[in-house]
Amino acid sequence: MKSFWKTSLIVCVIASFALVGGIVPTAKAAPKVIKIGVIYPLTGPAAAAGRELRAGAELAAKICNNVMPGIDMPMAKNAGIKALGGAKIKLIFKDHQGNPQLGADLAKQLIKDDHVVGILGCYYSSVTKTVSAVCERYGVPMINGSSTSPALTKRGFKWFWRTTPHDKYFTEDLFKFLVGLTQGKVKGVKPVPKSDLEPIVSACENTEWGSHVSGLIKTMAKKYHFKLAKSILYAAKAPDLSAEVQSLIEPKPGTMLFASYISDAILMVKTLKSMKAHPKIIWGQDAGFEKPEFRSTLKDNIVGVLTRTVFIPSIAKVKKVAGEVNALYKKKTGHDLGGASARSFTGLQAWVAILEKAGSTNPKAIQKAANTIMIPGEYLVVPWKGIKFSTSGDEIGQNVLGSGMIGQYQKDASGNIVLQAVYPFELATAKMIYPFKGF
Amino acid sequence: MGAFTSGMIQSIVSALLMGMVFALVALGLTIIFGVMNIVNFAHGEFLMVGMYACLLFSTMTGLDTLASLPFAAIVGFLLGVMCYYGLVKYLLRGPMIAQLFGTFGLMLLLRNLALLIFGSEPRIAHHGILVGRSFVIGHGIVLEATKLTAAGFSIILFLTVSWILNHTKVGKALTATALNAEAARYMGIPTERMNALAWGIGGATVTICGALLVNFWPVDPNIGLLFTMIAFATVALGGFGNIKGAFYAGIIIGFLIYIPTFWDTTTMAIGDKALRGIHLFSFKYTFVYLAYFLIMVFRPHGLFGIKE
Amino acid sequence: MEVIRNIFDLSDIPRKDLTVFGIFSLFLLIFPLIPHSSFAMATMIEFLMFSLYGMGWNTIGGYGGQVDLGKAQYAGIGAFTTAVMLIHWNIPFWISAPVGMIFAIIWSFAIGYPLFRMRGHYFAIATIATSLVLLDVFQSWNFVGAAKGLELPLKSMPSLLYLQFRSDTYYYYILLFLFFFGFFYINWFRKSRLGFQLRAIKDNEEVARSLGINVHWCKIKTYAIATSFVAVVGSFHACYNFNIDPEDIMSLDLSILIAMMAMVGGAGSLWGPIIGAAVLIPLKSYLGSWLGGKEGLAGLDLVIYALIIMIIAAFEPRGIWGIVEKARKRGKI
Repeated sequence: MKSFWKTSLIVCVIASFALVGGIVPTAKAAPKVIKIGVIYPLTGPAAAAGRELRAGAELAAKICNNVMPGIDMPMAKNAGIKALGGAKIKLIFKDHQGNPQLGADLAKQLIKDDHVVGILGCYYSSVTKTVSAVCERYGVPMINGSSTSPALTKRGFKWFWRTTPHDKYFTEDLFKFLVGLTQGKVKGVKPVPKSDLEPIVSACENTEWGSHVSGLIKTMAKKYHFKLAKSILYAAKAPDLSAEVQSLIEPKPGTMLFASYISDAILMVKTLKSMKAHPKIIWGQDAGFEKPEFRSTLKDNIVGVLTRTVFIPSIAKVKKVAGEVNALYKKKTGHDLGGASARSFTGLQAWVAILEKAGSTNPKAIQKAANTIMIPGEYLVVPWKGIKFSTSGDEIGQNVLGSGMIGQYQKDASGNIVLQAVYPFELATAKMIYPFKGF
Repeated sequence: MGAFTSGMIQSIVSALLMGMVFALVALGLTIIFGVMNIVNFAHGEFLMVGMYACLLFSTMTGLDTLASLPFAAIVGFLLGVMCYYGLVKYLLRGPMIAQLFGTFGLMLLLRNLALLIFGSEPRIAHHGILVGRSFVIGHGIVLEATKLTAAGFSIILFLTVSWILNHTKVGKALTATALNAEAARYMGIPTERMNALAWGIGGATVTICGALLVNFWPVDPNIGLLFTMIAFATVALGGFGNIKGAFYAGIIIGFLIYIPTFWDTTTMAIGDKALRGIHLFSFKYTFVYLAYFLIMVFRPHGLFGIKE
Repeated sequence: MEVIRNIFDLSDIPRKDLTVFGIFSLFLLIFPLIPHSSFAMATMIEFLMFSLYGMGWNTIGGYGGQVDLGKAQYAGIGAFTTAVMLIHWNIPFWISAPVGMIFAIIWSFAIGYPLFRMRGHYFAIATIATSLVLLDVFQSWNFVGAAKGLELPLKSMPSLLYLQFRSDTYYYYILLFLFFFGFFYINWFRKSRLGFQLRAIKDNEEVARSLGINVHWCKIKTYAIATSFVAVVGSFHACYNFNIDPEDIMSLDLSILIAMMAMVGGAGSLWGPIIGAAVLIPLKSYLGSWLGGKEGLAGLDLVIYALIIMIIAAFEPRGIWGIVEKARKRGKI
């Protein structure tokens, strides 16, 4: 009996560790494959966004790895990376569940165990922050396609590049749009007196991203001389918003601005409805306000709601390549491309272009290629002038050619809710509905 | 009526309604505690089960969420009884610390089973008679139908439970068990079954509350803790085991959660720039935690409790 | 000299336990030399961190029987002190960690005094409450980065002073040093005057009081000891992850995990937290990576945790170590 317990104790304690120690690094990859680690929130509160992001990256990899004659992009012209002997892109997906700590651990695994060439991710700014710090430490290139916290490119990192424009651009766009509204530049709307749009109130979630946006709204309101009556930060994940909404509608706002992820965004609009809010303009800073769920859940309630975005399917009218990719994406998932998927697609597209230019998987070569690359806007699905990263100044690795859009939910002829572009003014795809008709 | 007055009235009304809902959350906890002096850590998780049960029922049958109340009650009752016979009975034999570990384990289990089954995406009832409805009662004061209904049910359930305890045979047996379990056993009361019954009733009230709550409050697997804390604060304020106390304490908790709104309305009225810059919304629940802590330190027998 | 002898005195422990521990220590020492994946290394580091957390918790929760579910707040204080001092004044880890520890202890006295007027469940819930209050404060406090948290600046060169290395092996050995330090400290603690007083309190508070033990003060002192363990590991956590935010380091989930190590392994025994961490951490890591990655299986690891805890609570509140000891006694009969 004694010896039994002795043995079982030893087994108990040591076995778990033998297990740990016994895991040998995975075998080196075949040379014809270029591994890129992709870290997205595949489960957790942002799982819906995660699915979109994943589909976007997968589609880009598919276009890169195969010859696709119908697509006007350099990477569709040949199979794999030409400069690397036709090596194929292989994406290794990891799920960070919205947890920065987990994200950093996953990045380490990707770098040290999977020997990835580089990393793409991570959607949440908070996770991108930790993951990029790991990459910086190990000298592994990382491209970020969809995190919009301005702070990310202010850290002087040498191994971090961001393709998407960030919240400062977006928030400034909003105020330019409001100014345009007073000057009659918006399609279908006569000049609106400024006092109709005032006061402005904002509610942002109390997270890395939300608190940045809140700060930016304050700065921009001052810069463009709009009266900001209230800007509150609410606790994300504390899901009764009636107290917040009540306080928001008290000053009788003309414009309401929000920065919320999906579940809060839905709840916010519902609470606005039940508390009988009637602002002239409701604007959401992407994220929750742009997800398919937002549309499918709230249906007619959101006609007239504005959201900043980077991609609207209707711009296919203006941009041919966007329509081609969107058709493929719709075939794959059943949805149109959205802000998340289009940017994820563009992020991987940037990766492919950089690898093509570097002609090597050596980190130094990739770094050099990334710092000098110029992808013209005509090859992108998003309406940017192109991709070119800044290498000096107070922002390092930020794409300087990006720009945002503002879309409005409208009902199309067949009764579906679709997003129409209202800003930039020259890209407007429909007349704007003004004022917001109320719930 | 000025903006200040109407804002204040609106806040008071909302706080009252929310408070009654919180009282209902705490009702089950205080029943269980009253009868057998054990505290259920998994109380908030019971609420979560009720919320999911309601959503599941209404999506599967296509009926309104209100129709799921009896279903939620049955689920809650069974859950409570099962927990008693499957776990709590064994915990009672061990030291106090075992009870703590045990219900704590139950909390983890329910929380993660929910995660496993439903995933972590928040869900909420999107359709129903109540969802999104509200009444304007003049001067911009809005009553949300969902909260009004929940508050109404809270009053009904409180009255029912007090009536059962005071006027039925079972209720008297329960009270007897609560007062002195040993003596009750000598009197021929099946105390074990009474304990199970307390767990059943406790479970049923809290799942009903969950089914009402899900009309306006999204559910996700981690929601339980917030409600456990709210319930504990309520029960601590009202005095452990005191049903009437729980009702009033719930209303106080409701007002605590609306402190940021009161503050906001007041500072708006004063119009001072510096004060208006301070927003307390991210501290909404902090006041509840603080209340629990302070009440346990200074008035461990509750705000209305008499020192034994 | 007496103290030093007491620290290393393991003579009351059965020989075979020491043999097992010896083999295990040897394994820990040579682990980095064995070929391993970075995932295994990360798991081992987490194991060491959580055994230290667990050892700290075990003093008040195990020996003292006061179930504390708010330990994460002290990990947060430690981590944020280290981060703030590094960012604002460029102060190395070896200074900021003790400072963080002192802050944590001060805070533990401040809230420990009222906290220990409660017992049992009320105490446990109150610790959660204080932890959540502090979390909310940190999430809105701009000086410590509010909800954004803080990012530690990367030094251009690896540095022992600032605890910044490129290889995890260095972190591992530093933790291993702390681990043995903690182990021998607990070995001394359990035989110290305070240790005996504490066990008397756990058995019966009234009796302990009648023996002239200042129950309240004993608990507060032990609480401070538990706190200092947690705060130091928190400081280490900040350097190891070079990024902290309140939601991550001060969350209730961390508090729960800390408590679970000793609860499962065996509260109130020297080996408890180590066994607990050795079982739970690999379970969490591997289940998390094998199953959690597959959609729809997230949470399974914690379901297993929960079942273990419930079974232990219902049948053997002294945890895995309690089962071992029980079996051993039966073997002797």
